[in-house]
Amino acid sequence: MSYDASARAARGTVPASDATFWGRLAGWGPYRAMASFTTASPRRQFIVLAVFPILWVLTQHLGPMVQMLRVSLTDAYPVAPGVEQHLTIEHYLKFFQDPLFWQPFFRTLIFAGVFTFCTLILTYPVAYFLARHVSPKNRMLLLLLLLIPFWVGEIVRTYAIMILLGNTGAVNLVLKWFGLIDRPIPFMYTSFSMGVGIVYLTALYMLLPLYSALEKLPKSLNEAAADLGAGAWTRFRRVTLPLTIEGISSGCTLVFLISTGFYATPVLLGGPSTTVFAETIAGFFHVAGTQWPTGAAFAIIMFLAALCITAAFQRLMTMLRKGDKT
Amino acid sequence: MNRRNRILLSCVYWAFVAYVFVPLILMVLMGFKDSKFIGFPIRSYTLDWYMGVFEDAETISAFLYSVAIAVLSTIGSIIVGTWIAVLLEGRKFWGRAVIFGMTILPALIPGIISAIAFRIYARYLGIEPGMGAIVWAHAVHNVPFVVLVVMARLSTLPKSQIEAARDLGADPLIAFLRITFPYLVPAIMGASIFCLLLSFDDFVRSFFLGGYEPTLPVLIFAKLKSGMSPEINAIATAALLLTAVIGVWAERFTRRMNKDS
Repeated sequence: MSYDASARAARGTVPASDATFWGRLAGWGPYRAMASFTTASPRRQFIVLAVFPILWVLTQHLGPMVQMLRVSLTDAYPVAPGVEQHLTIEHYLKFFQDPLFWQPFFRTLIFAGVFTFCTLILTYPVAYFLARHVSPKNRMLLLLLLLIPFWVGEIVRTYAIMILLGNTGAVNLVLKWFGLIDRPIPFMYTSFSMGVGIVYLTALYMLLPLYSALEKLPKSLNEAAADLGAGAWTRFRRVTLPLTIEGISSGCTLVFLISTGFYATPVLLGGPSTTVFAETIAGFFHVAGTQWPTGAAFAIIMFLAALCITAAFQRLMTMLRKGDKT
Repeated sequence: MNRRNRILLSCVYWAFVAYVFVPLILMVLMGFKDSKFIGFPIRSYTLDWYMGVFEDAETISAFLYSVAIAVLSTIGSIIVGTWIAVLLEGRKFWGRAVIFGMTILPALIPGIISAIAFRIYARYLGIEPGMGAIVWAHAVHNVPFVVLVVMARLSTLPKSQIEAARDLGADPLIAFLRITFPYLVPAIMGASIFCLLLSFDDFVRSFFLGGYEPTLPVLIFAKLKSGMSPEINAIATAALLLTAVIGVWAERFTRRMNKDS
């Protein structure tokens, strides 16, 4: 609409200066006062621009984590009126005292590691195929085809896996048709069904970094290696793999962090023997609220552990890459 | 040799396609089963479950609730995210890396931990569990994605246009609104769709911050916990169709917009 107005203004049918919305805005007293106040100096202009984002990230992005840390260090939360609040690390100590707590913790980390590795093994050939063996025209189409299911939510896809793997599910039905089994294999409520579900949910986060790393890789490098007499396997191991380590590293980091955080999927697909730490943490928040500090402490422990592991992993990958160059 | 590799790899690709599509197709099919029990084989088909979805008040209100939350939280994320992106892109100042790190933080925190942290913080701020709390948590959680998308687009903005506008007398705000903002529209559209879907699909934050009224994923989860039934398939299929169609459309839309400009 404003463009129409300015076009008319340009033809001279109306006075140019205050005909358009923007012209009127620029001429409007209060706006002019505000504009000249905020843009008086580059410094002031920067401050006006920066104050809100900085306050936002401090209070909204960092704030929840800081508050969680604070709650995890108080002896009782919420604080009863008239009672003095004490700092304590008892909630952190609780973690080490009961295998009911640290077993799910280590299980979560091991599961997340294994599932991340499975996702990598599964998606690498897919990304490789898309980036190296498909013409650029079809590439986008084949990639988009894979993206469709990933627009669908976590719960819906978890449910789809339940139908696939149930005792009367599709896999058991097919196995029975082929006469491979007499009675259904109980896939559900095991670490296997959980793995299938979590890999299903995270595959995209691995696929995209791998794909973009592989796509950037110039074909000529492989051809040069082939000219120098390297076989297919050697070419892969000495050229392709080292040069895509960055993609592998960021894909694995993402998938690892995401898979430690799943709550609904383990609840629906796992069983009593596969309780993950997310369920343990959630348990402290179902009840009215006296156990929040413990839950907060456990969440902090898990976050730190996940961060340390991914940091160590990235370090290792960087070392591998550097080691290969020398 | 190369040919054999190629065939092998294409088999892996199509197997992967099967892995991601078959479960969803089976789920859609199961919604047509003329029986209360989930399981194969399906002997007779019915449309009743799907028809039932449109008559079920609980489902419809959960659906509308989810849509309202998605729209409101997306508006918040877009405003804040664009603002942060404009601050961070192409500007060097002390502490920029720290601000950027904090901006990305919510996207990196594992789901359950983020949900718990939001729950605790909502109580600290005095926000009651319910719609306001969910909208707030979704908005904060989605900001990093908006920032990344908008920053990527902003980095390709020809600086000369802004300079030209300034030379012609536009103040920074008007230059932003008339030059930068229209240039960012494709990115903002793309980011909005992404945020809408993230919010609509989100379970863990809605679950921990919700009051008595369930969002659609929370409703499906609650129904699943009390047992599988084709009714859930029908509800889930409706959610699936909506998200997949919007996702594919957005994908094409942003591609076209990016090509045009």
